[in-house]
Amino acid sequence: MSAKVFSVSEVKQLLEQGAQLLDVLAADEFEHDHLPGAINIPLKLLDATTAARLDRNRPVLVYCNDFG
Amino acid sequence: MIDYVPGKTAWYEENQPREGKAVDEIWIGDVAGSEVPTCSLTETIGDIRRRTQGWDTCVVVDPRGVVLGLLRKKELESDANATAEQVMRPGPKTFRPNVTLQELLKSMRDHEIQTNSLVTTGEGRLLGVISRADAEATLIHENAAQGAG
Repeated sequence: MSAKVFSVSEVKQLLEQGAQLLDVLAADEFEHDHLPGAINIPLKLLDATTAARLDRNRPVLVYCNDFG
Repeated sequence: MIDYVPGKTAWYEENQPREGKAVDEIWIGDVAGSEVPTCSLTETIGDIRRRTQGWDTCVVVDPRGVVLGLLRKKELESDANATAEQVMRPGPKTFRPNVTLQELLKSMRDHEIQTNSLVTTGEGRLLGVISRADAEATLIHENAAQGAG
């Protein structure tokens, strides 16, 4: 799986083109705030079964809190 | 799979929308006024003063809108031939738009800030200003609305 770094404006452009947002933070953090339309699968729970919620035909933008 | 490395903090620091319980919070990016006058480093105080009548604040920015300094009443009343760069208060304290109103007010009280606070993106680009009076009034109004609800 390759990873590529995107800026805020590029993220907005990708979302307009149909990309999915995946929030890998803990559920309580997600409940407090998240990017509009994001799906939450906490990193510890991310596997083939939980990832089945994602549309395999659309790009997936993964984010956590900040750098690191 | 695309790794959005800057993460949600950078998203919020650009004053982008959010979902979740935090929608019910007041973040200062939601309430900061964007009408504050700005000027360049090379503009003279005389020109700025003519352009900003009625204001006691002018933010000195670079061509990208990044905050470089601040002119308050004292500087705006200084030598008309001086440039903004010569008299400005460099590197003013700024706040990110994802700071809550309560956090901003605490900081303003702790640092005895009575006037306008600048709200900028993570990269320092000016988004707007919020006065302590407006921040206090907004919070009182919000608390009253929650009490009534």
